[in-house]
Amino acid sequence: MLPVDVAITRFRRDLTIAALVRISLLAAAMFCVLAEPFGLHQDWMYVLLVVGGIWVLLSYRSMQGTRIAADSPSLIAAGEFERAESHIDASLRSFSLFRNAKILSLHHLAVLRHAQQRWRESALLSQAVLSQKLGNMQGLARNSLLLLADSMLQVGDLRGAFTAMTRLYRYRLSLGEALVLQLLQLDYGWRIGAWESVLQGIGGKVQMCELMPRLNAAKSQALLAAAAFKTNRIELARWLRRRAQLLADPQEIAAGLPGLEEIFRLPG
Amino acid sequence: MESSPPFLDVPTLLEASEPRPRTPWLHFLIGGFVLTIVLSWLVGRSSQSAQTQDMLESVIAFGLMGFVASITLTGFLGVRRARAEQAAVGAVDELIQLRRWPEAGLLLQSLLSRPARSPLARAQALLFLALVLARYHRFEDSVSVHDYILDEIPLDDATDHVVRLGRAMAMLREDNLLDADRAISELRRTSRGVDSAGLALVEIYRDVKTGHPAEAVEMFEKRRDVLRRQLGHRVADGWALAARAYDLLDRPGDAQAAYENATVLMPLAELTRRYPEINPLASKYKPAPAPAEVA
Repeated sequence: MLPVDVAITRFRRDLTIAALVRISLLAAAMFCVLAEPFGLHQDWMYVLLVVGGIWVLLSYRSMQGTRIAADSPSLIAAGEFERAESHIDASLRSFSLFRNAKILSLHHLAVLRHAQQRWRESALLSQAVLSQKLGNMQGLARNSLLLLADSMLQVGDLRGAFTAMTRLYRYRLSLGEALVLQLLQLDYGWRIGAWESVLQGIGGKVQMCELMPRLNAAKSQALLAAAAFKTNRIELARWLRRRAQLLADPQEIAAGLPGLEEIFRLPG
Repeated sequence: MESSPPFLDVPTLLEASEPRPRTPWLHFLIGGFVLTIVLSWLVGRSSQSAQTQDMLESVIAFGLMGFVASITLTGFLGVRRARAEQAAVGAVDELIQLRRWPEAGLLLQSLLSRPARSPLARAQALLFLALVLARYHRFEDSVSVHDYILDEIPLDDATDHVVRLGRAMAMLREDNLLDADRAISELRRTSRGVDSAGLALVEIYRDVKTGHPAEAVEMFEKRRDVLRRQLGHRVADGWALAARAYDLLDRPGDAQAAYENATVLMPLAELTRRYPEINPLASKYKPAPAPAEVA
């Protein structure tokens, strides 16, 4: 398994080397074009062609690395973690002229560690991704923040989770991202006992639950039910609990949310 | 006066959204490089003065850089347009999930009225078009879009299964029972059909519709866990159809329980819109009451 600190160090080193190579090639090309008008009489055209050739060759190698990395999300989704790991490893080892490809590979490693429930490592990788200037990769920034918030919640770092969620408010989220964020907010609110805040806008939250994947929908409604029980809204709590139970078993729902199983033992 | 085409006219949209052949920019790039090398070689061997040769080489070098820059710019703009198209398809997906059908229809109309840049985005848009048409009870059109996707677009196994499910469901809604039965048999023969909640739901619906409630109940009870695991909140559809089947079998206790489970998960109006066959249940059974906070 690829150690996270090694991956991050290598990632940073490769970004620096790639930037130096890019700048050197561009400077060489500019020099070739401007040398003759400024009186340096050599046959610079051939040098320029060599520089262009090197650029094309390195771009091709970078594209190969990007293609290797492109398979990883589907492998992670299919649960083929070892194959995903080897793809990401190969992609991180290969030289890439373009920083976006490297950043994407490191993000895939964060997603993989998250799927493997190695929360601390996933958080470190997400932080490494977010420490870069992401420019037009706003979707990746949002995904990394969601991963970071969830990983922080899982390791019990509530302050870190809150900070990550707050940063997400700066972005316009897609529906899928908004659904994930709602579950994270409910989880956070439940952990800190902010029952009233959990139940705020309950109508909208229930509608959002209907759009979530099964287990997330069940967990969200169980968390809402817990808040409703705590605030003595018994009818609402029972209704939400029943919806959750129609989607998943209590043990499945309470996995990773210690204490939530209590609500399924309450009468009614 | 020329009349505008009707809203979501299927033949028009299928024709208009056909992707245009792409300009082979890479060929131009390679040709440009070769031309530059030949030109610089010719300039080097020409009998002009050294100063003129220097000037010509500089002009060629600037020309080469301008050429590369224009190719890069064209590529950049192409990528931007492709991203915008993908974003529009994503927006349609969200609108459908949020059941904002009129907006989804309008966006599809605009998206499919011009040549698609990416065949994948077009395939997704057509799949969404089939869904929207079914929502507007234009089942024949929906089936024709499904048929077009299956005939003309190469699909992976999972997508092929989803398209065939949608087609079978639209055929059932259209009361085209013979073709629907054939479509269901085809689905059963595929590897995806073995453990598919979608297929189980289509079969339950077919049995309810054709007056075979015992088979519908048997299928529902046998596949209840799969339905719950794969369908999420859409498991309400299974409960609603099961309620109708129990009712037809004169098992009011089971029908009441199934009806409550269906309506606790999904508003009754949405369920009856999807399955008009459950309408008679409203006068016999009580739906699960929603608490005041979410009513």
